[in-house]
Amino acid sequence: MSVLLENIGPLALTFLRYNIAMTVSAIAIALPVACLFAVGRLSRFPLVHLPVTAYVNLLRSSPLLMIMFWAYYTGPMLTGHPNSAYLSALLALAAFEVAYFTEIIRTGLQSIAIDQRSAGLATGLTSPQVTRLVVLPQALMRMLPSLLTQSIIAFQDSTIASVIGVSDVLQSVTIINARDQRPIELYTALALGYFLVCYLSSRWVRRLEVVILHRLSGARE
Amino acid sequence: MTYDWSVLWRAPYGELVAGAVLTTLELALISWAFALLIGMGSGIARGSPHRAVRLVATAHVEIFRNVPLLVQLFFIYYVFPRFLPEAVRRPLFSLGWETVSAVITLSLYTSAKISEHVRAGLNAVGLQVQWAALSTGLTWWQAQSYVVVPLLLRLIVPSLTSEFVTVFKSSSLAMTVGVVETSYLTQQIGAETFHWVEANTFGTAVYLGCAWAVAAVMALVEQRTRVHGLIGRGAG
Repeated sequence: MSVLLENIGPLALTFLRYNIAMTVSAIAIALPVACLFAVGRLSRFPLVHLPVTAYVNLLRSSPLLMIMFWAYYTGPMLTGHPNSAYLSALLALAAFEVAYFTEIIRTGLQSIAIDQRSAGLATGLTSPQVTRLVVLPQALMRMLPSLLTQSIIAFQDSTIASVIGVSDVLQSVTIINARDQRPIELYTALALGYFLVCYLSSRWVRRLEVVILHRLSGARE
Repeated sequence: MTYDWSVLWRAPYGELVAGAVLTTLELALISWAFALLIGMGSGIARGSPHRAVRLVATAHVEIFRNVPLLVQLFFIYYVFPRFLPEAVRRPLFSLGWETVSAVITLSLYTSAKISEHVRAGLNAVGLQVQWAALSTGLTWWQAQSYVVVPLLLRLIVPSLTSEFVTVFKSSSLAMTVGVVETSYLTQQIGAETFHWVEANTFGTAVYLGCAWAVAAVMALVEQRTRVHGLIGRGAG
């Protein structure tokens, strides 16, 4: 047990600084891009919706690990100078989540009735304004639980960054284990920590979903 | 930087490439078979009349859905053997514990997600069907296996497709415990030759190929097993 007591402080800090910070930054990058992409997927113009659809299908069919390999190992060829493992992992996670968020937001956009769009246009708003001010906010609200669930998955996926050498919480535990040979305590604590965070957040999302559904049905009356 | 695609088929990597792709297929397909069995059992158990059975099934789903796959893999790889007697542990390691532990982890992780789909499918089948089956004099088990499951399986084919694709993607993590599969070889070729573009293209192409093959096969299955009278993809 002493191996845990000695390391729990630094490990918790690593957890915050690497896993949580990386997930939050990746989501902050991915969400606005995904909003644009979702609108793009529903565009009438093939030049817009074909590339976006291709991006979504391609990224959703590849493992996150492969996208991290591309970002970390071939990124420097494009930029001309070495990039950090952390930045590569962050960008790869963001690019990966864009594909999933796009699909969720697109479903949300499609669930908003055409009447809303017509009503918006009738008030004199332009089509892009209707999308931005009327349809998108409602779609995001309706899809908030799915977006949050996907964010929890992204948070779990942030551990994959350890494979390309990011010193996240999983890699730190592996290093401590290599030194102290206490896998039972270390990995149980790690699994338990993750379980608590993810279980509690997903329970909270489920409750939020009920509240949102209730509100949406109330708004329609 | 000039590209040299021949690294992928020239010695020493030529033979390894085929082996690595086969290992990926093996890992994913064996895990998928186990995951279907466990997930089906767990999903049906969640509708069981016994409280204890329901509790075990719910715990299975919550545990494996709320811990990252990589953490589960390390847990099973490092921690599980510690509880085995030395006499069992030695042959286990010499037989290739890395592959076995990867299959165990992938099966359990995927089965938790299948369990959720099965439960959603059970709700879609509806209690009336269950009651109707029970009222004909079938026992609970008979009702499940002769009436509910056949109907349920056909209903959840679309959601199983995405999980089937995910097994292939998830199997890429097996490299972290030392299984020589596609992403392991991708990193090896890249690290040894610095032909990263070629190596990554190889790895990505394998996973994309698997995903598209699965999608094609499952589309066929979906078409064949569609429940008539229900709206499905391509049912019009």
